[in-house]
Amino acid sequence: MSGIRIARKIISTLVKDRIHYPARLIIDTFAVIARCGLLLILYAHVFRINGGVINGTTFIFAAWSIFFYFSFSILRLRDISRAIMQDVQSGTIEMLLSKPFSYLWYRACWQIGSGIYSFITIFVVATIILGFWIGFPSTMLVGVFIPTFTLTFLCGSVLSLLVYSAVGLLAFWMEDVNPVFWVVDKAVMILGGSYLPVALFPPLMFKLALYSPFGATLFVSHTVSPSWQTTWTTLVGAQLFWIAIFGLVVYCMFERARRKVSINGG
Amino acid sequence: MDQPAITVSNLTKKFSFTAKEESSGWIKNLFSPVTKEIVAVDGVSFSVEHGERIAFIGPNGAGKSTTIKMLTGILFPTSGTVSILGLDPTKDRKKLAYQIGTVFGQRSQLLPNLPLTDSLEFFGVMYDLPEKIIQKRIVELVDLFDLGSFISQPVRKLSLGQRMRAEVAASLIHKPKIILLDEPTIGLDVVAKKALRDLLIRINKEENTTIFLTSHDVGDIESLCDRTIVINHGSVIKDLPTQDLARSFVYEKFIDLVAEHKFSTFPKLPAGIRYATTNANKITVVVDINKISVQAALIKLLTLFEVEDIDVYNADLETVIRHIYERNSDRA
Repeated sequence: MSGIRIARKIISTLVKDRIHYPARLIIDTFAVIARCGLLLILYAHVFRINGGVINGTTFIFAAWSIFFYFSFSILRLRDISRAIMQDVQSGTIEMLLSKPFSYLWYRACWQIGSGIYSFITIFVVATIILGFWIGFPSTMLVGVFIPTFTLTFLCGSVLSLLVYSAVGLLAFWMEDVNPVFWVVDKAVMILGGSYLPVALFPPLMFKLALYSPFGATLFVSHTVSPSWQTTWTTLVGAQLFWIAIFGLVVYCMFERARRKVSINGG
Repeated sequence: MDQPAITVSNLTKKFSFTAKEESSGWIKNLFSPVTKEIVAVDGVSFSVEHGERIAFIGPNGAGKSTTIKMLTGILFPTSGTVSILGLDPTKDRKKLAYQIGTVFGQRSQLLPNLPLTDSLEFFGVMYDLPEKIIQKRIVELVDLFDLGSFISQPVRKLSLGQRMRAEVAASLIHKPKIILLDEPTIGLDVVAKKALRDLLIRINKEENTTIFLTSHDVGDIESLCDRTIVINHGSVIKDLPTQDLARSFVYEKFIDLVAEHKFSTFPKLPAGIRYATTNANKITVVVDINKISVQAALIKLLTLFEVEDIDVYNADLETVIRHIYERNSDRA
C-alpha cells in the first residue's frame, strides 16, 4: 500500500508542479503539432498521389497509428534513462538511496508524473481535433478497442520504463550511456512506427516490430490495424513476456549496481 | 535502548577503478585494463550512544563521507560491520531509513519549484506517516525551525540559510532517532550557521535525537558536538570529548606581547620560540613547550622587548585540528 501511496503522492505533486508552470504544456503541444501534424500532412499527400491506398492501408489507419505513437511519446517515459544517468553522475542517487522506498519505483513514478498532465491534456484535445479532421476508422469503433488499447498502452508503458531503466542503469558501469540510449531510442522509434506507420513496413521489419522488445513498447500504434482484433492477445502476451524478461534484467542490474555505488567525496 | 545507537567495527571500504596505462596500446587498455584500488576507509571502529552529538572530522579525502554513506546503507562496506539501532544498513536499508534522517549539505532533497509545505508533505508520505500526523508534524517543525515566513514560497526562491533549515526540517519529519549530517553548514553565513547549530542542539535536547555530523567548520564542532572522532587516511586517529581535544594536543602556547611604545626591531628568538605575527604594536610568538617552558620563555622575551601587556593562551581548536591532520600526514 505504501508503494501505491508514494506513487499517488509523486504523481499528484508533479501534476501540481506542471499546472504551476504551464509553459511546459505549451511547449509539448507545439512539439506534437509540429512533428505529428507535419508528418500527417505529408502522409495525406503521399496517400493522395498513390490513389488513397498503400500496401492495403488507407490514410485514416496510418494517421491514427502515427498519432498514437506521438501521444505515447508525450509521456516521456524514455527520459528515465537520462534521469538515472544524471542521478548516478551527479551523486543525487545517494540522497534517494537513503530514503525508505525503492529507487526504481520512485524514478518510474516520477517519470509518469512528469508527463501525465501533458499527455492527458494533449491526447484528449488532439483526439477530438483528429476525429473531426479525418474521422475515426471502423476498427476504433468496435467494443474491444478501448479495453485492449488501454491494456497494451499500460503494458507498453511498463515495458518502456523497464527498457529505458536498463539503459540508464548502465551508467553504473559506463562513463557515457548516451550512445546506447541513442541506439535503443532509434530502434524504438523506427520499430514503433515513428517514421513510417507499422502497416507499411516490409515483412521482415514488421516481424521485428512484433517480436522485438523495442517494437513491443509501442504496440499502441498497432491498435487501429484491422488485424488487431485477432492478434491483440498474442501481442499483449509478447509485451508481458518482455516485461518479465526486462523486469528480471533491471532487478539484477540494480542489485549489482547498488554494490557499485561510488560517489564523489565518498 | 541497551545497545548503542551506532556500532561500527573494523569497517573498510575499497574503491576499485580501471586506469589507462600510457605504455599499453588501446586494445590492451580496452580488453585488459589495469585495475587500481583505493582504500577510502581502513578498519574504522567506534560506537555512539543514544542522544550523543558526534563530530566526525578529517581533512578532504579522509574517508568521512564514505563512512557516513556506509552508515546509511548507501555504500556497501568491503569488510567490517555496521549496526545502526540494531539494523544492518546493507540488509535493512529501507527499515533503517524510517529510523534515521540524512542531510547532505551539498545536495537538496526538496522540490525546487513547489512551496516548501509540499516538500514536507511529500516526505511525510515517503515515510508512510498518516495524513493527520504529517500536518501535526509540519506545524511543529514550522514552529521549531521558524519556517512560517517562507513556507509558501517555492524552494528555489529561498536563501541558502532558509533552505538549509528547511532541509533539516524535512529530514526530521518522521522524528528520526539519529540524524546524520554531511557538512550541513557549508556555505552558510555566521548568523545562519549559529541558527542551525542552535536548532540541532534543541532537537537533540527535546527529542533526544542522536546527532552525527561531518564538518570542516570548527564552530560546528565546538558549539555543537560533545565528542569528536578524527579520521585521516581512512583510519580513526582520535576519539575523545571535544573539550579535551584542545587540551590533549597542547604542545604549543601562544604569547601576545603588546608594545609599551612601538616595536622597532624583531631580534632572533631563542630555540623553541618563533614569531607568529609581528607588527609595531603587537607581537605574537609561539612557544614549543617541549623545548622551553612558558616561564623560561617569558623571562627571555622580557629581556628582548619592552612590553605594556602580556597574554598567554592555548592554540584555538582550529589550530589544534590542523596540527592533528598535519602530524598524521607526516606519519603516513
